[in-house]
Amino acid sequence: MIKTLKQMQTRLNATPHLLHMGRLFNETVLLEIDGDEFYLTFDKGELATLTQGPSKKTPYRFAYKTTAAALQKFWQPCPEAGFHDIFAMAKIGQGEITGDILALVKNLRFFKEFMALGREKGALT
Amino acid sequence: MSFEPIIGRYLTVTVEGAPRRIYVEESGQGRPVLCLHTAGADTRQWRHLMCDAEITKDHRLIAFDMPWHGKSLPPEGFETEEYLLTTNSYIETVLAVIKGMGLDKPILAGCSMGGRIALQMAALHSDAFSGFIAIEASDFQAAWYDIDWFHRPDGHGGEMGAALVSTNISPHAPNEERWNTLWMFMQSGPGVFRGDLSFYTQDDSLIGRLGDINTAKTPVHLIVGAYDFTCTPEDAKRTADAIAGATLSVMDEVGHFPMSEHPKAFRPFFVDALNRMV
Repeated sequence: MIKTLKQMQTRLNATPHLLHMGRLFNETVLLEIDGDEFYLTFDKGELATLTQGPSKKTPYRFAYKTTAAALQKFWQPCPEAGFHDIFAMAKIGQGEITGDILALVKNLRFFKEFMALGREKGALT
Repeated sequence: MSFEPIIGRYLTVTVEGAPRRIYVEESGQGRPVLCLHTAGADTRQWRHLMCDAEITKDHRLIAFDMPWHGKSLPPEGFETEEYLLTTNSYIETVLAVIKGMGLDKPILAGCSMGGRIALQMAALHSDAFSGFIAIEASDFQAAWYDIDWFHRPDGHGGEMGAALVSTNISPHAPNEERWNTLWMFMQSGPGVFRGDLSFYTQDDSLIGRLGDINTAKTPVHLIVGAYDFTCTPEDAKRTADAIAGATLSVMDEVGHFPMSEHPKAFRPFFVDALNRMV
């Protein structure tokens, strides 16, 4: 998983419209996958650091918790219904959002498109 | 270069005792079909069907922007009022447009909150219509989000609203139409999407009225997309099952905004629905 996240980091930092959209986004996000913690610290839209947990000391603004199996479906070029969107995944019980959800909603397009960077190039963004 | 066949005009009607200047578009001739847009959007959602010569050769498609939406201005004094759509004001607006345009028993086609009001009309005012096409429509949907997210001074309600509703757009939708659909939400006036959602997520009065719908008199057909996570196929089926004689079609590759996000996939379902309105 860390390899995929690093690939997403590279893609984000090479995607001008996302960097522009996230230029006011300076937050740490916990991405929890099958219980494994990944702390993503964004700085002006760039993914500045990517740190694997566990950690009880790292503060984060919001968390998205899911499974590797769900993400694998989410990252398909044309995902099946329910796995096509991180909010849809939450609605069908395949994802959970905790923490400051308003901070997520204010930056929702940015975070959704960041999460979609795990998809094959040319697929839905 | 050629113009599209859609013609737009303004119609002033009275709703809740005050004038409303309504923007109306129409295309085609024949059986009138009054088309209602979703929450937070406007007539542009119907642009593809209104330019479909096969459909408009014998159907007069009419769409209008609800007050506060698109090119219909809010009424005088809006700047000090909280916009909250209600079932009564929505019904009154639709009936006023029908009367103002002199339409004779149109088919009513509505999507999302427009589909909800189509079913309310089927229960309460069926005499004014010849049939109902309820798209992404259900008896009631509680909010799975906080509607207050979409009207606050420290965030752009339109951008947040668009990012939320993108959940309900199918990945099969052409990218251009995905973003054209989202653009309407981005353009929505402050508090308008929230005020529409207030109606959509808090008024459950339709539930008790579904049994009053007489489909032998006026047919009711529901259409729902599998990628709709606001009104799911299960929600639409529950609603159709509660209306004796109502029919339902499920679209596998479409979401909550069929006519706008994926017009090619929606077209055969809409044509089928029109054929059922006899």
